[in-house]
Formats: sequence, C-alpha cells, structure tokens
Amino acid sequence: TISQQEKRLKNSTTLYVGNLSFFTTEEQIYELFSKCGDLKRIIMGLDKVRKTPCGFCFIEYYAREDASNALRFISGTRLDDRIIRTDWDAGFIEGRQFGRG
Amino acid sequence: KRRRTTTDQNEIEERLESLITRVGEKSTSSLESNLEGLAVVLQADLPNYKLKIISILRECAVELPEKLSVYTTLVGLINVKNYGCGGDFVEDLWVHLRDLMKANEWDKARTLTRFLADLVNCRVVDVSSIVVLYEAFANVTLEEGIPQVRSDWFVYAILSSLPWVGAEISEKKDEELQKILNKIESYLRTRKKDHVAMLRVWHSDSPHPQEDFLDCLWAQTVKLRQDDWTHQSLLRPYMAFDSVLCEALQHTLPAFTVPPHSPDDSFYPLPRVVFRMFDYTDAPEGPTMPGHHSIERYLVEEQLSCIINAYIKDRKECAIQLVSFHGKAKVPLNYMIVEVVFGQVFNLPQAVKQEVAYTALLLELCKLQPGSLPQVLAQASELLYERLDTMNLNCIDRFVNWFSHHLSNFQFRWSWDEWADCVSMDLEMPKPKFVQEVLVKSMRLSYHQRIVESLTNPEPFTPLMPPKPVPVYKYNEEGAGSLPGTMIAHKLMETIKARATTSEVTAVLDDVPNPTQDPDSMEDESTFNPLKIDIFVQTLLFLGQKSFSHSFSALAKFHDVFKVLADSEESQIHVLKMVRELWCNHQQMICVLIDKMLRTQIVSCPAVVNWLFSGSMSGDFTKHYVWEILHATLRKMSKHVGKITAELQEAREKAQKKKKSMDSDDEDSEESDSDSDAESQIERLQEALETAQSEQKNLFLIIFQRFIMILTEHIVTNENRGVTFHTPWYDYCIQRLEQIFLMHYSQVLAYTGTLEDLVFTGDTDPNILKVFQQFRSLSS
Repeated sequence: TISQQEKRLKNSTTLYVGNLSFFTTEEQIYELFSKCGDLKRIIMGLDKVRKTPCGFCFIEYYAREDASNALRFISGTRLDDRIIRTDWDAGFIEGRQFGRG
Repeated sequence: KRRRTTTDQNEIEERLESLITRVGEKSTSSLESNLEGLAVVLQADLPNYKLKIISILRECAVELPEKLSVYTTLVGLINVKNYGCGGDFVEDLWVHLRDLMKANEWDKARTLTRFLADLVNCRVVDVSSIVVLYEAFANVTLEEGIPQVRSDWFVYAILSSLPWVGAEISEKKDEELQKILNKIESYLRTRKKDHVAMLRVWHSDSPHPQEDFLDCLWAQTVKLRQDDWTHQSLLRPYMAFDSVLCEALQHTLPAFTVPPHSPDDSFYPLPRVVFRMFDYTDAPEGPTMPGHHSIERYLVEEQLSCIINAYIKDRKECAIQLVSFHGKAKVPLNYMIVEVVFGQVFNLPQAVKQEVAYTALLLELCKLQPGSLPQVLAQASELLYERLDTMNLNCIDRFVNWFSHHLSNFQFRWSWDEWADCVSMDLEMPKPKFVQEVLVKSMRLSYHQRIVESLTNPEPFTPLMPPKPVPVYKYNEEGAGSLPGTMIAHKLMETIKARATTSEVTAVLDDVPNPTQDPDSMEDESTFNPLKIDIFVQTLLFLGQKSFSHSFSALAKFHDVFKVLADSEESQIHVLKMVRELWCNHQQMICVLIDKMLRTQIVSCPAVVNWLFSGSMSGDFTKHYVWEILHATLRKMSKHVGKITAELQEAREKAQKKKKSMDSDDEDSEESDSDSDAESQIERLQEALETAQSEQKNLFLIIFQRFIMILTEHIVTNENRGVTFHTPWYDYCIQRLEQIFLMHYSQVLAYTGTLEDLVFTGDTDPNILKVFQQFRSLSS
C-alpha cells in the first residue's frame, strides 16, 4: 500500500541513481558516493536482454544520514560528464536491476 | 469546546513561530518595515503568549547567529512597548547562558554572549550589565588549576563579541573596559602555545602568518580600539529605529556566576589557528581586502562562516546567501568566500563540516558566478600548489580530494603543463606527490584513458601516471611455469569456473605441499601454508576481477575456505600480501577488498595494521591509499566501540526508567525476572565494551609502536651516516603519525595515560615525542 511504501522510504538507506552513462562503472560510482559514507552495496541497472549497464543503479548505505548527504551533495553534480540524479528508493528487490535498456 | 481552544492555541503558536523564525529572509518589503510589523503583531499576542514568544526568541538568539542583529532589534522594539516582557526575556537569557555553559555548549554560549552584547545597542540591556558579564569572564583567567582551553574560551567570548558593543562601553565605562583588556593582555602574554605547530595549515609564516586565534583577534581588537571602535562590516537594523529605541528603559542584570570547572564533566573547544591564504595583492581589482589585523577581516569571516554553517545542507541557498552578503560592496567578496571555505575545509583536527559538502558548495558558487568565481578558485589552486612544500599533510590530502572531485565536474580541464616541472625534483617531494595523487584520484572517478587524454601533453607526467588498473595474476605471467603451484592454480581455476563447492576447492588445495615444512613430516593442519594462500587468493580474486560485486561474491562464496586458511595473524597478513600483489595496479580495489575482508572477519584489524607497516609494503608507504586503509580500519574499530557504548547507554536508561516507574507505582513487582534479564544484558554489554575498548587500545598501541620503530631506525641510520634525517620520507612519515592523533583525536585522548606509560616514554626520540606532547597540549 501507499502508506507502507512511504514508511519504507522514510527509513530507507537506499538510493536510486539515474542518468548515468552506459559506460560508467561500479568502481566510479563507488568512489563518488563513498565520499558521503561507507557503502553496503551497489546494484548496477542492467539491460534486460543484453545484461549490460543501462544508465541507472541502486546504492545502499549502512547509515540513513550518509544517504541523505549523498542526496544533498552529490545529486545534480557530474559523473563521467553527465549530471546524475538521485532519489530515495524503498529498498532493492531482486529483479529490479533489469531496466528497459 | 475545550478541545477547539487548544487547537486554536496550537495554531497561533505555530504561526508565531513561523513569523518570528522567518523574519529577515528575503522579502518584497524592507527589513525595517517587516520588523516594525512583526513587533506590532507580537505586541498584541504578548498578554496571552508571552512564555511561548520568549522561548521562540531565545531559540533564534542561539540557533540563528547569522540573523543576530535582526533579532536584537526586534527585542528592542518589543522592550520599548513592553518593559516587563523585555525584562523577563533578558533574565531568561542570563539563566540560559549559564545552562549552555554547564552543558558544554560553548559555541552556543558564545553566540548568546554576542547577542547580549548587541542588546546593549538596542537599549534593552544597560552597559554596566555587559561589563559585569565581561568581568566575570575575564576573572576566569585568574582561576588556578584549570586547563588553558577553559580560560581561552572565556577570553574568546569577550573578544568575539566586543566589536558589537565596544563603542558603547568605551563611551560609558572606559575605565572598566581598560581593566578587562589589561587582564586579557597579561593572560595572553603568559599563555602556552604548543598547540599551534600541530594545528597550522602551513608550517611557514611566509607569505602569510598563521596565527593562534586569540593572538590574532587580540591584535585586531587593539587596532579596533585605536580606531575608536568604529567599523563598517555589521548589519545594524536598529539604527533605523534610533528615535524610538532611545526612549526605552534598560534592564540591569544581576551579577553573573560562571559555572566552575569540573575535571570530569567539562569539555572545552580546541584552540585554533587562523587560516590565511590571500592578502590585498591577490585581489588587485575592486574593493581592497582588509588586512590580517583589521577587525573587518574578522567580522566578514565570522558572518560568512555563520552563513555557511546555517545553510550548508542546502547548497543552492547557501551559495545564494553567500554571494548576496550585505557587505559585498566593501570587500572582494569572492576572495573572502573562497578563503573562508578553504579555512573550513583545512580546519584541524577535522574539517568543520564534511569535505564533500564544500565541494558541492564550490560547484554551486561556480554555477552562480560563472564569470568570476572559477578564476578565483583557479588562482587559489595555483597558490595552494605553490605552497605545498610547507603545507600540513592532512590538508594536502583534503586538497587532493577536493581538487580531483572538482575537476571531474569540469572535464578534467586544467593547465597541467604549468605543473609539469615537478617531475624534475625528488618524486617524494610534496609537489610531485600531490600531482600523482590527484591523477590517481581522478582516475578513480573516471578511467585511465580519459585522464591520459586530459593531460594534452602527457609525456612529462609519465613517472607520476598511475598504471592501467589491471590485475597481475602471477600464475599467468611469463615464467609462471617454474613457480611452484602453477599447475594447481590452473586446476583450481578450472574447478571454480565449474561452479565448485567449498569442499571441492579445499580438496584441490589439499594437494599443495607446504614449502615451510619437510615433505616427509606428518601434515600438520594448524601450520600455515603460504603457498596455499598464494594460489587460492590470487586465483579466486583474479576470477572476480570484472567488478567489485564479482569480487565480493567470490569472497562471500568461499568465506569458509578463508577462515580455514587464514586462522592466524601471520596467515592473514599473507592473504593481504596476495591481494596487494594481484591488484598492485589498482589501489581502489585493494581498499575495497580489505574493507570487505575486515567486515566479514576474514582478516583482523591488527593484521591489517601490521601488514601496512611490513617490509612488503615499504614501497607504497608514502602513497595515500595505505593511509586510507589505515584510517578506515581505525574508523571501523571506533564505530564498533561506539555502537556498543550506545547500546549499553540505552539499556541503562531503559532499566532506570523501569525502576522509576516501579518505585512510583509502589506495587508488588511481578517483573523481577525481566529485571534480572535487564541486569544481565547490561552486564553482557559492559563486558563487550571492555573487550572492544581493549582491542581499540591495542590497535593504537601497535600503530604507535610501529611508527616509533621505523622513525627511530630512520633517524639512527642517517645520524650514523652523518647525514640529516630530515628527508622527504621522514617529513611524510612524521606527519602521518601526527595525523593519527588528529583524525582520531577523541579516541586517542581516552588512552593518553596508557600511551604515556607504555609508548611515548622518556626513551622515545625527542623528535617523535614532540608530536605526542603537541597532541597533549590541545586539551590542556
């Protein structure tokens, strides 16, 4: 339901990151986002068919505050010359890494 | 009906809060008319909401220092019409000031002191009251047996509010002021300054002196006094209401008693060194930059810092507020902003806010002032580069991080050629080291080819260029055939590729002979077999080379094998050695793999530290990633201790609450069971905390002992050869030692006694001991 979703978002430590270049690697994302704190994991968004990166990823922090800081200080800045956008995510669920490419 | 009234009341209180907290924000009408209007509104609500209004105003006085004079003026306007309310408010502040001091909220107490001083200008508080307050503060310098940081704060609180009220006091109470200033002067004359060496950004006073914060503010105050306490950098909205305010009655406050020092519960702010990177010659156009000892310099810096502290979490708003600073016509604003921002970035022991927040702010400022700010930043970067030789290594690290991150937002465009000559010097010197680390960090945010191309003329930078981040799998290299273990390594690779289980992998490794043992002797399971580790670690991580995620799942899948192979510190160090051998071209990979191995307890913290100081790492000892790993290891340890401390506190509070509620209930307890549960939980946590703390202490002991060993060896070797030990390596190394004290200040502080007894003793070389003494001077 909507309220459950809202609750999950409120306590989430996961971010959705969009507008990445298809060539941007997990390593680069790791480097940039760990400037705000320790990362638990990164899940690269993959093209459903070709299983190649397709411009988005999920980032999970250990601490909520670190994720908030990534929204404040990294969202809207550049990685690989593209302005990346981040937003709260309710938490990664297997299968969601497959985008439309 | 009753409920209805409460709702109305809440609504009104909320409206009051919003009206008061928002006054002074950008608006279509003038600040004066907004203040006048608000004063009228509050006047009407005072009979019913006095306490609420007073508490909101007190919040604003402490929490919104960037709007200080807006609120002092507002209080002035209220006091004119309602003397009783004005009196209640200032008495409330008097009590609150004491409470803040007792709660060690020294920064807030300093803000409030300044607020009280400005209330004199708004005819709310009479001059004698603030003089009495200052006298009480100044008398702290005469207290005996207190740490210097205590008297420092009280002197600072006087000096940092005096510019607001100096003119008034000197007009009406000049003799008293003279006495206070004399007391401060004699205090400053005998004050110890051992802390300065550790806290200054540059080790040299050329081109700009890096002064102790009190010495500098004192010099500025002396000059201000010569200028009859006149300055022009403050917003004074109350001036417009002079004709109204002059009719107000002022309040005389009772004597102020400073809370006494308590050795166990009082914690004071650390001393500081004032950061200076520009003077008027750096900004030749536009208004002149105030000199180092001009009070205007201090006042502008203070106000810009207040803006940054207030708005940093909203980088767009922060940038807008900074560039629209009210005094911008009188100073070269962009230069002052950049100096204040770098002052906060390079602040020691820690940056004031997170480093990445400043990177974001500077990007925003560039966006807002594209025609002017980027040039000032480029000039600042040039200048910082030129002064690298005497720059504190901590600050160089932060400079590297900011600069590479900043460049990544501007396609890595930079006039690299101007720095190309640094390769002609000893590559261990700060300049080539800096360029090398910037290139590495830039590559981590980008990729190898891109960085090479951004150099337009990469040729001269070859010796500093990071290698391509590819693995070196020794069983595939030329000559691997003659290595013991190559056959098994290749077999292991096939096995893992065929989705092997843990036991299948173990079976393959069982065939590996132990080179440290006689082949005929009985196989001893507990002896560590380095060859097994070579084969397993190299092969597994080579297969996981595609990404961090691949490597992490390889570690997770064969966690059990690691636990069996690396069951001692010696074997864990060997695992780490293999990680580094495989990924010698990819520092970031080494860092994240070790992070993961620590978290999954494949390796221990002491193993990581001992490995970093081992001979196999000596070639990388002056590379930043080594220290990145060391500090991350220490941070993990402190987080662990912090977590248990918090849990213990929570458990104690819970137990206390329960006890209280049972006492008050006065009923027969049926919950004695859960009572003892709680007790045993507290006991368990206490034990866990003691264990964690002793592990932490042990880790610091190892680090400091290793530092002393390598530094002493270096000093002795060079002295025996008859050459100076002050080499670039030594300067680097001693500053890394300093950095441990600074970056983990409060953790190390807890173990000062042990360190003094066991490590930094009379036998320690005086050059090394000096670092420890400087550390101690920070809090004494």
